[in-house]
Amino acid sequence: MPDLGRLTRDRLPHALPATAPLYPPPPWPLPGARTLKVVFETDAETALNWLPPSLGRTSPAYGIITAAHYPESPIGPFSLAAQYIGCRARTFIRVFALHAVADSARAVAALREVWGFPATLGSVRLRAGRRSARALVSAGGRPLADIRLSGGEPCDPALIRFDPVLNVRLIGSIQPGKRHALLEMVQLDPDYTIADAVRGRPHLAYPSAAESNPWHLLPALNMISAAYTTGDTELPLARFVMPY
Amino acid sequence: MKFGIFHELSVAKPWHARSEYDVYHNALAQVELADELGFDQAWAVEHHFLEEYSHCSAPEVFLAAAAVRTKRIRLGHGIAVVLPPFNHPARCAERAAALDIISNGRLEFGTGRSATWTELGGFRCDPDLTKEMWDESLRAIPKMWTQETFSWKGKHFSMPPRSVIPKPLQKPHPPLWVAVTSPETAVQAAERGIGCLGVSMGTPREYEQRVKDYRRVVRKCEPVGEFVNEQVNGVTFLYVGETDEEASEWGTRLATTFAYYAAHLVGVSSVYPTPAYSTPGLLFSIRQEVQEQTRVGGGVIREGMAIGSPQTVIKNLKMWEEIGVDRMVFIINTGEQVPQERVLRSLRLFAEQVMPAFEKGGPAAASAWRPGRPAEPAMP
Repeated sequence: MPDLGRLTRDRLPHALPATAPLYPPPPWPLPGARTLKVVFETDAETALNWLPPSLGRTSPAYGIITAAHYPESPIGPFSLAAQYIGCRARTFIRVFALHAVADSARAVAALREVWGFPATLGSVRLRAGRRSARALVSAGGRPLADIRLSGGEPCDPALIRFDPVLNVRLIGSIQPGKRHALLEMVQLDPDYTIADAVRGRPHLAYPSAAESNPWHLLPALNMISAAYTTGDTELPLARFVMPY
Repeated sequence: MKFGIFHELSVAKPWHARSEYDVYHNALAQVELADELGFDQAWAVEHHFLEEYSHCSAPEVFLAAAAVRTKRIRLGHGIAVVLPPFNHPARCAERAAALDIISNGRLEFGTGRSATWTELGGFRCDPDLTKEMWDESLRAIPKMWTQETFSWKGKHFSMPPRSVIPKPLQKPHPPLWVAVTSPETAVQAAERGIGCLGVSMGTPREYEQRVKDYRRVVRKCEPVGEFVNEQVNGVTFLYVGETDEEASEWGTRLATTFAYYAAHLVGVSSVYPTPAYSTPGLLFSIRQEVQEQTRVGGGVIREGMAIGSPQTVIKNLKMWEEIGVDRMVFIINTGEQVPQERVLRSLRLFAEQVMPAFEKGGPAAASAWRPGRPAEPAMP
């Protein structure tokens, strides 16, 4: 009989991607968050091209862009903008992240590795007045998305929805010919305590068509809504993981 | 207690050249049989652009066909979307009156305002305004039916003096209803003296307070029409089988498919923050019900659904009767998931073995009519 090792799975001493990550583990409390969100109808075929086979499009297909600034987090202040497709996981309302930009290298690493956000390093400039808000999302020196709220009016924070996010956690294989060593979807259930909310007319423009960050491929066919909120949220422990 | 059927005319993908034809004609055959069997009402919704879920965008045409195939069953226009961006109120009044004539005075006129962005966005209708649009149209339409010459200067529509014709056969006019998915709308129905078409599929226990509130408020109503239509309809799924097991299999398929179709539509409240849609509406209520039931491992069949053997269905419907619901209206198929012969067999079993357990009365609408004071002109 061979003499076999005793390092069972539950005792594995390290995990990808790093034994000493650049960031603390979840959950991350994010108090005082400021978030601008626009919702728009988009092209159904484009939505289908970008959704995993386990998710379905809505009728009509719709997209969401959020731009948030977090003044406090376990890694210090950072901003995050993300573009999503509204979708359904069987009968459940979800959003699927297509692109994301964060303005801190540590945030980008954590967002990709822990929560599966398709994050790249860039800038998110979010500004808000009493009746308006605007965010400009850029990466690689190019503006990717310009979102605005105009004609704002206060609204009941309970009316603002942030649906659960589905992200793909992906680790490429080191074996030739094998694409993925890990491919799964992780669900982030948002936990928002919104103190103030403003709703208004939505605007969206894609100032440039960047091949490396093709936000412009999700067209805005009909704008639906815009909301700007302040409040507390968090990046949670993943409640739910599903196969791709 | 009386019973009715309810048609969304849902059409499953993949579609073929005769998908819609089959659904429409199966539904007409169901109405015809329901009439023969003694069901009291057949309702058809008005929805637009709701792929798979409902291809019933011209319910007055479907109901006219049903009218000429039937003799006794009352026909529910339910609900007509009475918002000016969808339908000019005069067109609603005209079509309903024509349908009342064609059906020999068997029309029930349900009203509503849509709960989906899919529909409101399609007609570029401002979600913030739909409640007041509905209210304005609701107050105008009975006047169009009863006044020789009608004119209106409102916030959401206006028209110079015109004779809105034809006039309905029923005098003073057909009974009025509203689709109710929230406790607030039940009270608003009562305040206006119109029937409560309860299209949220809660359990009888969840409904009880809503029915009590409606009954209490309707006593002191200011009716928008010429009379008070004090009635409460509940809606649920129907599949009666020889055994609970058989019924459960088909009933689960029916309810699950309905929820699945509803899930892929876009509710107003999920994309557009507005106090006008603080509750999710019918489709989304149903989806939540199914999700919740599935989450706790209970399947989709819940208390009060008319799914089971005749004995089980009697027991479940008695719960609705006990809380004071006047009529239960049933969704009997979705996307043709239940084969037509099974749908018809379920209706026959219901008529033979369930209906006799409930007291029969006269025509439902007539029994609930009572004269009311003419409403004050609501709009300048």
